[in-house]
Amino acid sequence: MSYEELDHTADIRLRVRSATSDSLFAETSLAMMQIVYGESRPGTVSQTIELSAENIENLLLDFLSEILFLSEVENIVFSSAVVHITGNSLCARVTGEPFDPERHRGGTEIKGVSYSGLRIVKEDEGYVLDILFDV
Amino acid sequence: MLEQVTRLGEYEWEVPKGTVPGMRVPGRFFLSDSLYKSLEAGAMQQLANVATLPGIIRYSMGMPDIHWGYGFPIGGVAAFELDTGVISPGGVGFDINCGVRLLSTPLTLADLGHRRELIETLYQAVPTGVGAKGPLKLSLGDLGDMMVKGAAWPVDQGYGLLEDLDHCEEQGCMAQAQRDAVSAKAKQRGMPQSGTLGAGNHFLEVQVVKEIYDQDAARAYGISPGQICVMIHCGSRGLGHQTCTDHLKVLEGATKRYNIVLPDRQLACAPLSSPEGKAYFGAMAASANYAWANRQMIMHVTRTVFEKMYRIDYESMHLVYDIAHNVAKMEEHSYEGKRITVCVHRKGATRAFGPGSPDLPPGYIKIGQPVIIPGSMGSSSYLLRGTTTAMERTFGSTCHGAGRILSRSAAKKTINGEKVKNSLSREGIIVRAPNDVAIAEEAPGAYKSSAEVVRIVDALGISNLVARLEPLGVIKG
Repeated sequence: MSYEELDHTADIRLRVRSATSDSLFAETSLAMMQIVYGESRPGTVSQTIELSAENIENLLLDFLSEILFLSEVENIVFSSAVVHITGNSLCARVTGEPFDPERHRGGTEIKGVSYSGLRIVKEDEGYVLDILFDV
Repeated sequence: MLEQVTRLGEYEWEVPKGTVPGMRVPGRFFLSDSLYKSLEAGAMQQLANVATLPGIIRYSMGMPDIHWGYGFPIGGVAAFELDTGVISPGGVGFDINCGVRLLSTPLTLADLGHRRELIETLYQAVPTGVGAKGPLKLSLGDLGDMMVKGAAWPVDQGYGLLEDLDHCEEQGCMAQAQRDAVSAKAKQRGMPQSGTLGAGNHFLEVQVVKEIYDQDAARAYGISPGQICVMIHCGSRGLGHQTCTDHLKVLEGATKRYNIVLPDRQLACAPLSSPEGKAYFGAMAASANYAWANRQMIMHVTRTVFEKMYRIDYESMHLVYDIAHNVAKMEEHSYEGKRITVCVHRKGATRAFGPGSPDLPPGYIKIGQPVIIPGSMGSSSYLLRGTTTAMERTFGSTCHGAGRILSRSAAKKTINGEKVKNSLSREGIIVRAPNDVAIAEEAPGAYKSSAEVVRIVDALGISNLVARLEPLGVIKG
């Protein structure tokens, strides 16, 4: 996973780099899981997410917010994600293990995904994303 | 950005109109020289951005704990006229009605034996951290009632005293709550979490009153030297987070529909009079009520722990006050010689109503509203009182805490959680948290000095010092 934490006084800002928009979405969702739960193992519990949005930034925000929602209400720590983006729509299969309070309390809660400073740029070698999570 | 800032007085600074295109009013913020050194350009940018919002009056304001957030700066206060103004989730935040309450006990330091056992018992009794579930099994109907009634809902169920309600901002209930404006997803998240503390900077702290600065106010608030108190800091949990997420999306669409031009998408907003604006306000109020019920539940559990361990009456532990840090409210204020109703957004800021203000309980009306300023972990917290100066200058608002100085990633890199825990333990402060990283991120060195922040609000007169409390033990999420 290729992401770095950018400086931000109160919250968590990440820069994520990935070859394709599909893998950018997948890697960002897993980075987010790592922030919330710390380390996790591969699992067998899956969920399917289908979404459409006005533009690619909104699609990413909706996707990440949906992962936070599913993770919390279904008690799943997602450790893999396969994302297919077509235009401004996506279909994703996210898989993980059941939340275990003994092993998954190494992180901090993300309260929301912010529009502030959200940036997805396509460069020669792939995509670069800057994103801020309220923690 | 910082080079545009002009100094107006010892603690007062201005961001002039024009710093960001479209500013309708100047930005004003309050800092000492030492705190100015740690001011981020990002916070100034956000203060200036808020000044571009339609219907903003007087200033976009920053309290002395101002720092870089998203949308509004943290420590941001702005008031909007009802007919031309807007409401924005970016001025409230994801954690709607994140707030703090102070519970007093009849115990003194000498009575507080078995302190480590007390902290462990509280840690076991109050669900904390990521993934925690609450003690209540709520039906959808119960949750709906809780969102309408606020702190009164748990009190009606026997989880508190009637007197508690009088000692909450808004009596622990915003009457404008609309349960139907809260999505099914938000309700699904809220149902299992009532009575949970959450994670991050949320905490429950056992404290001792160390210093009294204002005898009359302390007496009115029921506070005396050496007294043991408990401070509870938490918010509206997943229900509030989801409500912000849902309505942010709706309001982003509304921003375009109403032709509002914004410098930051997180400031998505809608006119207060629009259906979208009203729906967000109703959902935000419902989430705020859930947060008041949440703090009431946690305080109930705390009272029962103290009752059993120290054989004191449940009724002998009084709620001093409960205040919101992240909220938008309809309030009456003086503006250009008239009394008008405005929508005041406080994002990481505290209401600080002065003597004689409406909404204060009879016992506090002559003194002013209690203002509770939590310190960072291991440092002092303060009790202050609201003032007439705050009513005149800051729409009855003041700071909400110390304010971060070090990012969480920098704190994790430079601070060792275990060492912090051991060093606090040597000072007699017991820390209980799910992991050491949580301790490093919230270590005292990551925050501005709470003493300096309250010194400035006291010197400005936007709230006045009443008492200082020192930590004895803390549980963190």
